[in-house]
Amino acid sequence: MDITQERDGDVVVVRLMGRLNSSAAPAAEERLLAAVAGAAPSVAIDMSELSYISSAGLRVILVAAKKVQQEKGKLALGGLGANVREVFAATGFDTIITIAADAAAAIAAVR
Amino acid sequence: MLSFSEEIVLLLLDETNGDFVPLPESVFAIVMSGAALMDLALHNRVDSDLEKLTVVDRTPLGDNILDDVLAGLGRKGAKLAIVDALFDVAANAEEYRSRALARLIARGILKQEKGRHLWVFRTRRYPVIDDSEQQEVRARLRQLLLSDEIPDPRDVVLVCLIDACALVKFVLSADELDVASPRVEQLRKLDLIGQAVTKAASETEAIIKFAATTM
Repeated sequence: MDITQERDGDVVVVRLMGRLNSSAAPAAEERLLAAVAGAAPSVAIDMSELSYISSAGLRVILVAAKKVQQEKGKLALGGLGANVREVFAATGFDTIITIAADAAAAIAAVR
Repeated sequence: MLSFSEEIVLLLLDETNGDFVPLPESVFAIVMSGAALMDLALHNRVDSDLEKLTVVDRTPLGDNILDDVLAGLGRKGAKLAIVDALFDVAANAEEYRSRALARLIARGILKQEKGRHLWVFRTRRYPVIDDSEQQEVRARLRQLLLSDEIPDPRDVVLVCLIDACALVKFVLSADELDVASPRVEQLRKLDLIGQAVTKAASETEAIIKFAATTM
């Protein structure tokens, strides 16, 4: 999988592309934890090009979300495709993490 | 750090007398199996999605429970329905409980006392020598269940396990439990293997109750 990161003003925008599974999870966790480092981070994760997420991938998101909460920051996910949205709904991840319609809305949600 | 198999065995012990709290053996087996599978998941040996559990790395961990489970899953095939994996591992739950108890005794957390019931039946009790682990886990879970805190993956697993064997009542008071029930449900859903454990345990309990009322 590929991960890119850029800034949109005060917001860190992370794009996840491809499949977030057990083989991709360690590197993804490292990149995401680096992205959310610092006091009160505002982080938007663009998932519009993420085609698959497994339990290992969900744990990466959970760890990042916990870190953001501990740092009193904001995190939102946007652009979830049907497959990924189904997993988030089945596991209730959509009840503990802000989910926006697309990347722009995720950025707006954490600004 | 204790494995989930050790954690759940410890949490199932009544620290006042060293006996196990009442729990049907079949439910216990499912919970022990779930503990091992979720441990393997956190060690990146298995992964899961809405359809299946996949063995992604067969490298042993040096753990006499997890390595046995991992080898067994590997023999079954790389991909399994989660519920099939759960019941497959559950077949060896009694052996895994013995190993978990032996490890807890070796760590100085428990001791074993042998006795006799009615002068005939041999009994074993496991009084807790060092209850700091039990107390720490209960305090952490209590805080998690009574807040909106985002859990870490380990705590999600523990919530799944204690809920599946009805141990939440030992973590929260009755009043707290009423308030926190939706939160318990929210957290136990977060792990797909945990979901399978909850479903299998509740269905097994329902079958046991049905059988008891119709005999």
